[in-house]
Amino acid sequence: MLTVSGSAVALLVFCIISAVWNGFELSNLGQQADRTLIVFQANRFCPATSRLQEDYQRTIASISGVQQVAPIQVFTNNCRASLDVIVFHGVPSDKLRRIRDLQIIDGDWKSYEQRNDGALVGRSVAERRELSVGDTFTIDRVKIVVSGIFSSQQPAEENTIYTHLDFLQRTPGLNAVGTVTQFEVLLSEDANLESIGQQIDDHYRGGPVPTDTRTKGQFQASTLGDLIELIGLLRYLGYACLALVLGLVATTTIMTVQDRVREFAVLRTIGFSEKRIFSIIISESIILSLAGGLLGIFGGYAILAWSDLAIGAEAVAIVIQPTLNLVWKGLIISAILGFLAGIAPAFQATRTNIVEALRHV
Amino acid sequence: MSLVELRNILKQYRKGTETITPLDQVDLDIQRGQFVSLMGASGTGKSTLLNLVAGIDRPTSGSINVADTEITAISGSRLAAWRAANVGYIFQMHNLVQVLTAYENVELPLLLLPLSRAERRKRVGIALDAVGLLDRANHLPRQLSGGQEQRVGIARAIVADPTIIVADEPTGDLDDETSTQIVALLQQVRKLLDTTLLLVTHDAEVAAIADRRLHLERGVLSDVTDVVGTTT
Repeated sequence: MLTVSGSAVALLVFCIISAVWNGFELSNLGQQADRTLIVFQANRFCPATSRLQEDYQRTIASISGVQQVAPIQVFTNNCRASLDVIVFHGVPSDKLRRIRDLQIIDGDWKSYEQRNDGALVGRSVAERRELSVGDTFTIDRVKIVVSGIFSSQQPAEENTIYTHLDFLQRTPGLNAVGTVTQFEVLLSEDANLESIGQQIDDHYRGGPVPTDTRTKGQFQASTLGDLIELIGLLRYLGYACLALVLGLVATTTIMTVQDRVREFAVLRTIGFSEKRIFSIIISESIILSLAGGLLGIFGGYAILAWSDLAIGAEAVAIVIQPTLNLVWKGLIISAILGFLAGIAPAFQATRTNIVEALRHV
Repeated sequence: MSLVELRNILKQYRKGTETITPLDQVDLDIQRGQFVSLMGASGTGKSTLLNLVAGIDRPTSGSINVADTEITAISGSRLAAWRAANVGYIFQMHNLVQVLTAYENVELPLLLLPLSRAERRKRVGIALDAVGLLDRANHLPRQLSGGQEQRVGIARAIVADPTIIVADEPTGDLDDETSTQIVALLQQVRKLLDTTLLLVTHDAEVAAIADRRLHLERGVLSDVTDVVGTTT
């Protein structure tokens, strides 16, 4: 019982850590991230401080290799690291359709386009804030009406609220008419990302506002820099949890085998082969590990599903969500740990002399 | 040809710096269907001899042939398969698996044989019936008395219809009344199955019921079947 509960807690922690890492990888591995540039104001970090002239888009669009340029006004409720980040992206609706592959699961595009204060809300935010179509949602100085709820293949997207660009620019106190936080630049397949980024930055180096252009992946990585280090450390904690499970299951299996030396000797006397005894002990060890693993993994899954967390900083979010992949990964790791933990005791049981083991009290 | 043939068996093992020789150039033949008892003082090597015949121990030198198989010349895995098919072992301490019911304990040897579930059920039923414990089939060992546990042990030893049954002081852990019942049961079962039985005992009365009585002393085996009043 102690082993199962210990393994369960360790696997639960591992499961949550894996979900955080998974979320980070998914936010970076989007296919578009590889051929998308983000143009931000140079030497600025928080979206609130980046202000680029909206008409930069014409110059950027004229560069060879550029397919789309989408001006984006970003507004977030929290620029610091937080577990409840809500990010508004103000994007012209025609551009939004072209640069994002959003599946509207409730509401529709038409009602969104017809309302100036309409918003398309990511599924993750909607669930966390219990929003449905027609609801009014106010955060800080932004008040929107939910016109649609969308899902996306990129989990980080589902933590975003899309509004019309001019609506967000006119947010009281934001004073952003004519300016945007960033440009998202979608490039053609054969375009050279570094070269185009360099061209943009060179063009605006002398002003009026200098830019800092990076790939979307680099942009997110630099924005989440501190968090990434923390997540990297968390991974080691995850490995420590797995080592703990291995130690717990191995210790319990060794103790069990020592207690059952005589029983295994009786089985071998009856005719059970060493191979069969080895399999029995390995199976028991795997079952023990899987029992704890199942509890921990499904506990972790339930916590993640219930909490719907998104960790983020400076308007870039990492969605921490449970996936079936995570469950399989956890179960496979549990089984492997069980197997490894059973090897030494299984060898011990099969190598013991039967006659001596029968005398064991 | 004898069912069991031991030739020039030498068994030695080390205890600290001392070399112990429980069996020294022992020869033995046991015919099919014979009931043989083996007596001798403690530590003379009775159990060692029985374990060699059962194939759970190996001699230092010499050869053992049981049921046309030279068990001293086969690998560990083949020896395990041979035990499953040919040997029924009755322990002094019952040695039942505590988490399994009487039925499941008796079924264990059959799991190693190519039998259907229905066939296993039938054989376990017959074995439990033979030892008078059919109504205790679903009881765990801790719910049984010492005598009943030994009966389950006997059922487990006979269930696979072995070529030879070996019993290592099967009454050594029982009171007199239960011992008498167990000895009677062993006789009954042996007659029923017409099988070969090698029994190690300290008890002269138990040994006396055998067709043939052997005595082991200082590593030397002697046949005392015709010697009246032999005691340990």
